[in-house]
Amino acid sequence: MASNPGQVRGYLIRFAAVAVGLLALAVVPAFIDPYSLRIVTGALMWAGLACAWNIVGGYAGYISFGHSAFFGIGAYTTAILMQPGIGMPFLATLLPSVVFAMIVAAIIGGPTMRLRGAYFAIATWAFAEMLIQLATVLDITGGTSGLSLPAYLNEFFFYYTMLAAAAASFLGVWYLIEYTRFGFRLKALRDHEPAAEAMGIRTNLVKVQAFALSAAITALFGSVFAYWTTYIDPQSVLGPDITDQMVVMVLLGGLGTIWGPALGAVVLWMTNRYIWSTFGDTVVYLPILGLIIAMVVLFLPNGLISLIVGRRRGRELISRILRKF
Amino acid sequence: MDLFLQTIVNGVLIGGILICLTIGFQLTFGVLHVIDFAVGGWVMLGGYAAYWLVALAGIDPFISIFFVFVLFALIGRAVGPLIYHVRTSRYARPDLMALAFTFGLFLLMRGGALWLWSYNSRNVESIFSGEFLTLGPVTIPLLRLSAFLMAIVISLGVFLLLYRTRFGMAVRAVAQNRDHAGLMGVNVKRVSAYVYGLYTGITASAGVLIATIYSVNPSVGVRYTLFAFFVAVLAGLGSVGGVLIAGLALGLMESVVSTYIGTRYSLLVVFGVLFLVLLVAPKGVLGRGI
Amino acid sequence: MSSPAIKTSATDKSPLVLESVVKRFGGVTAVNGVSLVAAPGEVVGVIGPNGSGKSTLFSLAAGGQPADEGRIWLDGVDVTGQPTWRIARSGIGRTFQIPSLFDNMSVRENLLAAAVEGDWKGAPGRAKEVAEMLQITPVINNLASELSGGQQKLLEFGRVCMRDPKVILLDEVTAGVHPNIRRIILEAIRRLRETGITFLIIEHDMEMVSEICDRLIVMNMGEVVAEGTFEEIASNAEVQQAYLGRQP
Repeated sequence: MASNPGQVRGYLIRFAAVAVGLLALAVVPAFIDPYSLRIVTGALMWAGLACAWNIVGGYAGYISFGHSAFFGIGAYTTAILMQPGIGMPFLATLLPSVVFAMIVAAIIGGPTMRLRGAYFAIATWAFAEMLIQLATVLDITGGTSGLSLPAYLNEFFFYYTMLAAAAASFLGVWYLIEYTRFGFRLKALRDHEPAAEAMGIRTNLVKVQAFALSAAITALFGSVFAYWTTYIDPQSVLGPDITDQMVVMVLLGGLGTIWGPALGAVVLWMTNRYIWSTFGDTVVYLPILGLIIAMVVLFLPNGLISLIVGRRRGRELISRILRKF
Repeated sequence: MDLFLQTIVNGVLIGGILICLTIGFQLTFGVLHVIDFAVGGWVMLGGYAAYWLVALAGIDPFISIFFVFVLFALIGRAVGPLIYHVRTSRYARPDLMALAFTFGLFLLMRGGALWLWSYNSRNVESIFSGEFLTLGPVTIPLLRLSAFLMAIVISLGVFLLLYRTRFGMAVRAVAQNRDHAGLMGVNVKRVSAYVYGLYTGITASAGVLIATIYSVNPSVGVRYTLFAFFVAVLAGLGSVGGVLIAGLALGLMESVVSTYIGTRYSLLVVFGVLFLVLLVAPKGVLGRGI
Repeated sequence: MSSPAIKTSATDKSPLVLESVVKRFGGVTAVNGVSLVAAPGEVVGVIGPNGSGKSTLFSLAAGGQPADEGRIWLDGVDVTGQPTWRIARSGIGRTFQIPSLFDNMSVRENLLAAAVEGDWKGAPGRAKEVAEMLQITPVINNLASELSGGQQKLLEFGRVCMRDPKVILLDEVTAGVHPNIRRIILEAIRRLRETGITFLIIEHDMEMVSEICDRLIVMNMGEVVAEGTFEEIASNAEVQQAYLGRQP
């Protein structure tokens, strides 16, 4: 799509920035201790999750309160496939996990996305809670006792896996949104749905595609998370805490921007870890999270990124997205 | 047959409380145009208030409920303007922001309760606990009957307020058409604040009743937010009258599923039905939703 | 109305045919049995007082709303009841009265987005051509929200052109714009009609209407009250009554 030297220069700068960033992240393990490495791994995961949620929340304009459903689907798929009876290797479980999540998203996405904003939020929330109940009563998911995965205590492996997943997610989403037809369709749909339809864009299809993509990425992280923590149960991978954090991270960082979610994720995750190391437990983190949302809504609705990019652009961007709600 | 009758009675008794729980929620939606994600949080806090009043002062919940109502009405009256402000602010999309705000509020409540009081369930004892009434084949715990009656009284009170007082008329006017009500001299901002206070008062009171029957812990909020959503959506968001039927429907459904399939499945079924109702009839079964 | 046999031969040649379309909104009948046959390269003006149903008619023709009664043919194909996106892909484009640009995209991206369901490979080149034709090349990298009102109208028009439609519906595209911009649009319409594109334009600007329209359709209260050339319409008593409320 480049058509002039200025744009080519723009590409090179962006490319260089990404390359430098990736390189920096790649050598991080050499400089920090294992404990800190776990923290960074966590930050990468949340950045990826925030990015995924942003596709539906920020770009398609649908606020989902049930994304933990897909995280859990990913986690449980991997966990189940790695159980003694089946014993698949970890990497082989990733494809089924992602595909399964996409199928579920495709099935419920269509009808659910016909709902207007708040109804959609409630519906997705109900769906996620339904899955928790399902996981609690089914045998294959281990019920309330959950499932254990084969232990693999290699922090480097998980760091690089998360890094790969996060990099793939962000770069993939970035490429899709900025340089493909799908991205144009999505942005058109977000900015002005009737006009998009008048251009021949099948908005309902695009919405479901975005939903499926978002679900796939979320499930991917769920899978890695399951193997990383070696034990999962309904609350830990399907619980509202997952969704709550995803939502806050994106709102905090900047809804509907490419890098806002990463910013919000890092800030919030570091806050979480700081509280944990200072107060000894994360229970106080929850009310603080609630307080943060309240503060963001009241004082910084366009997210942290608007402080960097500029208030007006950020505000207009957010208004456009949210008008669709 | 006996089991069936018992199930029905159980369902009705619970249904009454669910009605009480959701009336305020509907009013808030109708007047402030906000779906209060924190509704379960108010229930939970009401339950805890009752617990502490029993534990520290030995006051029976059926007496302290009045105090709880007043306390939470005052709290709500103070919080209401904040929500009204978010909902009517000019930037971004107000109703999403309000939803996010109440979501944050809910987190704050749940997290705060967890932090302050840990995850243990607290039982709220009452003089009615453990007593039973036998009507033929049906055994009615006195506690549930009293709670049901109290819930009905509160609900009736709300209806009387709405339909027999000037304040109630103002509330209904705002719910019907906020701008016109404002043009006719109704102080919409103040009415909204009072309605929110009324809502938190009623909901916390319902929380007291629920706590006596089921005990209370920080996680009950989620369950009752769901129930409130369910009843509200089934009735049609904003419809106060529809709540009567929808509340009973949920009570009966929950009772039937618990008795005949198993308590483990009741939440699953409720969530599932809610999801389906949203897909099929989001404006409520009677189509009176907004 | 004409018999079906005549309609068939008309639909074969005409890029746009509306047959007795009706649209009601609750108790109000916005469009009440309007029929229309447009010829290739024709510029048809749709005029009438506010609220006469013109925009609704456009909406029906472009598939934005489903008609309650009546049929619509695009290029000989019956498209009645089809979803908006499919009708749009059949070769009809429209501008909206209220700005409908993609505010967070640049002018260039807006143009590209319009071609997303068509010739994607050739889109950048086409975008350049369209921008030149409408003289918005200087602002091609600006955000759509940063444009002046007139430039926004040009961009709206440009987007429609990107898809090579056979029928273009312009809804008050020159309302409130600078005369220069009006000139650019008129030139563009002239160039495009040479290539056989049919235009339906809703206008209140009688000067423009007299300049560019081959014929006019006058609507009042959802119905067509007169059809003809500008001169015929100008002296039509019913039209005068519709506009001015004067008794004939």
